[in-house]
Amino acid sequence: MTGVTNALNVVADGLRLDGIRTPLVATVDPIKAGPTLKVLLDEIKGFYQTEEIPPAFLGLAADEGYLKEFWQAWKRAFEDNQLPRRFKTMLAFAVSLTSRSDFGTAFHLNEARRLGVSEAGIREVLGVTQMFSSYTKIADVLQLEPDMGSMAAPDLTPAPGGKSKNQG
Amino acid sequence: MPIVRIRDAEEYPEPAQKNMKMSSDWFNFEFGEPPAMSKVMAWDGAFGGPHGRAMKRAATPGEFSRAEKEMVAAVVSGINACEY
Repeated sequence: MTGVTNALNVVADGLRLDGIRTPLVATVDPIKAGPTLKVLLDEIKGFYQTEEIPPAFLGLAADEGYLKEFWQAWKRAFEDNQLPRRFKTMLAFAVSLTSRSDFGTAFHLNEARRLGVSEAGIREVLGVTQMFSSYTKIADVLQLEPDMGSMAAPDLTPAPGGKSKNQG
Repeated sequence: MPIVRIRDAEEYPEPAQKNMKMSSDWFNFEFGEPPAMSKVMAWDGAFGGPHGRAMKRAATPGEFSRAEKEMVAAVVSGINACEY
């Protein structure tokens, strides 16, 4: 989720695919989309319960095959899984805010509200994001060495579908 | 290697040592020697005190759980490329 969030933010901010400014690359007009692209764009609209496709995705649509794969990865990262979509959207908000992405901050903030996160909930995540933007800078400036790793026991669980090393 | 000498806990005045002990309570983990960040924040209680309380206020369970907020802290630390 962190990776694809940053991936879309980089393109959206860098190429001005925010629906406000003039994009630096051509975006696809959804009305003129061919049948297979239309199916894909409809899926994006359905995922976000909106009639307006986020312009960042339209900027990728010139290469339909690329958008298709990117979207599958994006959707997999954001859909309900071990973590609920609502919380992952808040993580994406924190990632976007921390990386100073205008597109991502606004996009994921709006999405969080749509998914039912209250203003108090947004403030909670904002507080943690801000405070850890402080702690991390203090640690970096002083070049503190990690000394809290022993709090968690080593994770010996296998990869999904795999078997534990101890199972032979 | 830290650019300042991180003092041992015993080099701090007693009230500061008490504040550092609160790290163990917050994390429910006995560190032995308090983490370097606790020592840094205990240097000036007039700064570290409110800073720590603001952090605890933000990280206390509310609409999101403590664990979820730790994950937020982890991604923020990751984006900031903070090894600590």
